[in-house]
Amino acid sequence: MIKLFLKVTLYLILIFLSLELLVRAFHLYPDDSPRFIDEMGVEKRIPNYRGYSVTGNRRQNFSEYHINNQGFNSYREFTPSYSKKELAIIGDSYIQGFHQNYYNSIGKKIEDRTKDLEVYEYGYAGWDLADQLHLLHAYSDDFDKIDHIVIYMKYPMDLGRAIYEPNTERIKLLNSTPFKIRDNIKLLYYASQIGFLDPIKNLLTGKQDTQQSDSNNNQGNAMDSLYIGNFDKLLETYPINKSKTSLLLDKRKTSVKFLEHCKKNGIDVIDFGSKFEESKKPVTLIYDMHWNNNGRTLVAESIIEHLGL
Amino acid sequence: MLFNSVEYLIFLPLVFILYWIVAKFNNLKIQNGLVLIASYIFYGLWDWRFLFLILASTIVDYYVGIAIHKRQSQGDKGKLFLWLSILFNVSLLGFFKYYNFFVDAFVDLILLFGYPIKSTWTLNIILPVGISFYTFQTMSYSLDIYFKRIKPTHSFLDFATFVAFFPQLVAGPIERASNLLGQITNKRTFKYEQAVEGLKLILWGLFKKMVIADGIAPIVDDIFANYDSMPASSLLLGISFFSFQVYGDFSGYSDIAIGTAKLFGIELMSNFKFPNFSRNVAEYWQRWHISLSTWFRHYLYIPLGGSRVSRLKSIRNICIIFLVSGFWHGANWTFIFWGGFHALAYIPVFLMGRNTIYKNNVVAENTLFPSLKEIWQLFATFVIVTFSRIFFRSESLTDSFVFIKRLFTEFNWEPYHHPMGYRMVDYFVLLAVFVLYEFRMRRDERNPFKFKSPVVRFIAYTLVIFCILLFYDDGVDRSFIYFQF
Repeated sequence: MIKLFLKVTLYLILIFLSLELLVRAFHLYPDDSPRFIDEMGVEKRIPNYRGYSVTGNRRQNFSEYHINNQGFNSYREFTPSYSKKELAIIGDSYIQGFHQNYYNSIGKKIEDRTKDLEVYEYGYAGWDLADQLHLLHAYSDDFDKIDHIVIYMKYPMDLGRAIYEPNTERIKLLNSTPFKIRDNIKLLYYASQIGFLDPIKNLLTGKQDTQQSDSNNNQGNAMDSLYIGNFDKLLETYPINKSKTSLLLDKRKTSVKFLEHCKKNGIDVIDFGSKFEESKKPVTLIYDMHWNNNGRTLVAESIIEHLGL
Repeated sequence: MLFNSVEYLIFLPLVFILYWIVAKFNNLKIQNGLVLIASYIFYGLWDWRFLFLILASTIVDYYVGIAIHKRQSQGDKGKLFLWLSILFNVSLLGFFKYYNFFVDAFVDLILLFGYPIKSTWTLNIILPVGISFYTFQTMSYSLDIYFKRIKPTHSFLDFATFVAFFPQLVAGPIERASNLLGQITNKRTFKYEQAVEGLKLILWGLFKKMVIADGIAPIVDDIFANYDSMPASSLLLGISFFSFQVYGDFSGYSDIAIGTAKLFGIELMSNFKFPNFSRNVAEYWQRWHISLSTWFRHYLYIPLGGSRVSRLKSIRNICIIFLVSGFWHGANWTFIFWGGFHALAYIPVFLMGRNTIYKNNVVAENTLFPSLKEIWQLFATFVIVTFSRIFFRSESLTDSFVFIKRLFTEFNWEPYHHPMGYRMVDYFVLLAVFVLYEFRMRRDERNPFKFKSPVVRFIAYTLVIFCILLFYDDGVDRSFIYFQF
């Protein structure tokens, strides 16, 4: 029996090492670009980092990213000036665009379709409106020089809070030893990414169902006042220049009350939902809800048409 | 508890260690007691309420076995007690599995005569997992005693362990007492080679389940859910893939069950012997779900006269055995049609006297590759068996026939896209490699990693686990298909 245990242990170690080699050789794991909170309290990526984002098993989605000097995934550096024509797009993972090659982003599509326009994509996975408005406020010198600002917003998910606080806990967690071990052992990282370790996690945490329903986020009219209240408080703390700022959203998924509130307060709204509805081709990736190439093109066209770029 | 769950990954080593520690005390009662408790925990984690059914079936057949034997020693056959066992077990099955089916069939029949009735008799009954398996196992015990093939055990603990032995409790192999009970009543000693064989079988079974069956399950589910809008090419793909899915699922389960039993020093019967390499339908039934085929042959076909009666009666017996086998799978006309289809496919083979010619050999017996004739035979058998699975997989007979109609009329070819966006070519390559690998090991279903070189063996283990990681899909329902039977 001891012989069996010793041999099984030895085999498991060797298989583990071999699998680690295979996962590395086929680059099945995503290159995680490190995050930090800068001196202005903005959570972003450590600058000048290149890598590949990998989604799903068997490299279902494999795309290259490039973190620029400013700490955002982009094909260009952000050098705003009064003499140039610039557009800034601020948003979460949809704008960060790790699910696409960085040289085929929404910004690049806009630049390709317009003349003498530089597009700066300030995207960071997990950002909500508080993060986005704080960014505008923290880098106000830069944004003052930018001609137009588009804030991508998902209603009501991005209006869950009225006060900005940097998520130091998350950064701490990501820098903790277990996460560092996971990041360095690519097999574990891959297994974790594809949900292979979820049953173990669920068993340890006593969770039954890992799937969250988006429908929970939309509780109807009763919640609208809370979200609109959060929106107003955020704008009070971080006022925006309404003449050059637009909200980018999908009207189909946004509360009518909120849209009316924006209209009443003179906040410009760019809707890409109608273009998505008209599209005969799918607009999102099949395996996750991020926009595919067609979706990104339609979003880029919506911005160009609305702003008359 | 599923074999492919984290719970089982913890449960199995724990029970295994305890089992062999207890074995050191040389006390079989403690060892069997441990297996029994583990088995009840294993089952109870699904639904503890149905444990009483297992216990009831155990108690009835334990005492029936003793009573039959006692009657036989007094010169009586003990038929009354045998009928008690059959009646009890069939009633359990009848109520939990077939009650609603019979009510619906009755209502439909009345309607046929022009008397529509609003049925309020159907019940919301949950099918207890494994009921079709353990009731057949306990019945076989009483039948074997009645036919004087075995003597009853006087240890309730041993008998309860035989009925509830967790590796094969919920989906077989359906063991006969002459094989399993004999091992349970005897002392088991740890054998390194046997344990290693068991681990290899578990790994291979997990591969078949998690990679082959679960890998293609979303494709099959998608095609069968949307068959009314799909072209024939996609339907053909769906039904062919289902053939591999159900094989990977059930034979994977059986491999894990047999492998687990080996870890406990117990040998279970083989349940699958590469049915995809069958040269006719008769050979297929000698290789597919062997424990059920054997059960029906021993306890139904042979008592009916088998093939030792007139041709006509033999054909009748074949029809009965296939229809009953179909009905065993589920309370749905689709399964009865599936059984009937197999009877129709089997009868010509039987009439030509070719039903046993491949019993003791495999395809390409003495050669590396099969002959052209054999390739044709394998292909034809695969097509017949796969076609029958349209009934097996469809929700209703109407669905089956619409599926078949579309298969022969909607010829416009369209490329099929995976519902989750995966590359389809991955699955074609996977299945091709799987078929070739199984062809290589076609002579020995119990040794999936038969390589002389330990290095090659190690590479095979690694690649199998790597495939599990590559094809893992956390959105797939991981339960086994045969649990619903």
